[in-house]
Amino acid sequence: MIGVWAVELGLFVLVVAALLAERPIAVGLTVAAIGILLLAARTSPRLWGWVATAFRTHRAAALSGAAVLALALPFFLRASPYWTFVATMALIYVTIGQGLNVQMGTAGVINLAGAAFAGLGGYTVGLLTVRLGFAPWLAFAIGPLVAMVVGALLFIPILKVRGHYLALVTIAFGFIFNILMNNLEFTGGPQGIKNIPTLRLFGHAFTTAPTLFGVTLPSHANFYYAALAMAALVTWLAWRLYNSWVGLTLNTLRDDEIAAKCSGVSVTRHKLLAFSIGNLFVGLAGAFYAVMVGFVSPPDFDFGYSLVMLSVVILGGLDSIPGVVLGACLLIPLPERFRMLHEYRLLLYGAAIVLMLLFRPRGLWPAGVRRYGLGSPAGSFGAAGTRAEGVGVSR
Amino acid sequence: MSLFATRGLTVRFGGLTAVDHVDAGVEEGETLGLIGPNGSGKTTFFNAVTGLVPATGEVVFRGAPLPGLEPHQICRRGIARTFQASRLCLGLSVFDNVLIGMHTHVRCGLLEALFRRARMLSEVRQALKQAAHLLSLFNADLVDRGFDPVGALPQIDRRRVEICRALAAQPRLLLLDEPSAGMSPEETVELMKDLQIVREEMPGLSIIIIEHDMFVIEGVSRRVVAFNYGRKIAEGTFAEVARNEEVREAYLGRGSGTEGSARA
Repeated sequence: MIGVWAVELGLFVLVVAALLAERPIAVGLTVAAIGILLLAARTSPRLWGWVATAFRTHRAAALSGAAVLALALPFFLRASPYWTFVATMALIYVTIGQGLNVQMGTAGVINLAGAAFAGLGGYTVGLLTVRLGFAPWLAFAIGPLVAMVVGALLFIPILKVRGHYLALVTIAFGFIFNILMNNLEFTGGPQGIKNIPTLRLFGHAFTTAPTLFGVTLPSHANFYYAALAMAALVTWLAWRLYNSWVGLTLNTLRDDEIAAKCSGVSVTRHKLLAFSIGNLFVGLAGAFYAVMVGFVSPPDFDFGYSLVMLSVVILGGLDSIPGVVLGACLLIPLPERFRMLHEYRLLLYGAAIVLMLLFRPRGLWPAGVRRYGLGSPAGSFGAAGTRAEGVGVSR
Repeated sequence: MSLFATRGLTVRFGGLTAVDHVDAGVEEGETLGLIGPNGSGKTTFFNAVTGLVPATGEVVFRGAPLPGLEPHQICRRGIARTFQASRLCLGLSVFDNVLIGMHTHVRCGLLEALFRRARMLSEVRQALKQAAHLLSLFNADLVDRGFDPVGALPQIDRRRVEICRALAAQPRLLLLDEPSAGMSPEETVELMKDLQIVREEMPGLSIIIIEHDMFVIEGVSRRVVAFNYGRKIAEGTFAEVARNEEVREAYLGRGSGTEGSARA
């Protein structure tokens, strides 16, 4: 028990340290410490058992700890609008990652055009507000829907295509989107769309610096909290989706399409469902990005970003809801932390993916067995306990 | 009238006729054995019936024609199957693998999953209970391991889970594609007991079973159909089919076939 608490405390301290450390040496040390801990956990099943129990038995504590940390973060970062912005980007990537994870992790439908679907959301907001004078909130609501509908229309002709071919089709779609945005007159061409109006909530414009508990935060903190709400909502929805019949059906479809068909699953319908839900989330993140930055242009939705989005999901763990959160929170801020390495820091993405595929192909936080949120009694995570508590099988 | 019958069922892959004008049927509650050498079209027959490969000819199930339907629609009509090479989702739990079999009976969809959890969870609990019941028919340990990944189970338990998945659909007709494939003789004996349990528990269920192991066929089915080169070459009781000249030839070759019949 002491061991479990020690692990929890140690992890918490390390996470806080990694977030707050300023000097490169401190950052390097904390990251190395986390790496050593993970490596140790991998080599010693006992330690891994402690970590696993720590997270399972005190899930509520871990969640509230994370929530407090997330809510307090802008106060720690108040001196640096830049880092507030980076943290917000991480949350946007959590949203995107959950969307892509529904498609690729849960349903096995590969989507390498994440940036294009985010772009559809963003450009819709830009066009509706700047060109057509829509209210920002209304445009913000329509953006994700456009991404979803375009995705569905794209999907119908490629239903028969699967695996690598589907990947190619989505790559092509990403490039077509980019070329169109670059060349179409009404999307502003390479200049993109400028001066997208910001959102207002109860008369408070998101561009004015907020004062909370007597502390004035950078204006980016508005977007940070909004992104936090968005990421939390999407993660919550994704968790519920995963722990349901729908999640099970999509998993079966991914693992064995023929078995799924012969169990009565309509492949077309469920693939389309997964693709649409995923694009809705990705489009939402894109729309959010547009109102946050106030400006969209083709390079913002480049193919390279599709790969970053993909890396988030692979690093965290395919089909793992907490894994996606972890992946985004590591992969987005970390390269910023290593700015002293200049361009070479982009190698980090490549190195991270290669290392992951070699040593932890199922991700940092692999997906566990689905329990439908029926819960298990504290302390006993064995099947026997679950049976007595959750399933209620009497023998 | 029989529950299920094919008339002139034919499957062609280019120039090859894998199933050639087959007439076969099964009564309600009957177990039909399907035998034949490798490549004689037994599995293709199953694939044609379940809509996985296009076929010509007639298939009548519960008085209605089946051809032209998608596999998932055929499952909805009440035909479930297992596969020769296991098609379980190895990373998913034992319970999940059985639960997917209930897909056609599930009432809760996306809306319930996201916003009406109580309703969905009560359905899931019910389904888990049912899955535990099915699993415990074969092996009570499987219930204890219900939340373990299927990949961690030994071969025979995987086969049992696959049969449970098919039974979870509450089918009227169950197609078993060589359940003893890859099993040791001891495991095969256990599997036969399992099939007898299914027989006793679900007397109304019709079963067609493909088997290479004559011992299994003799044990579970009274009527047997033999295939060779995609054609039905014999039909009757196990003893009748086993005596059949053409069947012996198909299995043992010409010389030994005549010798065997001469001795019989």
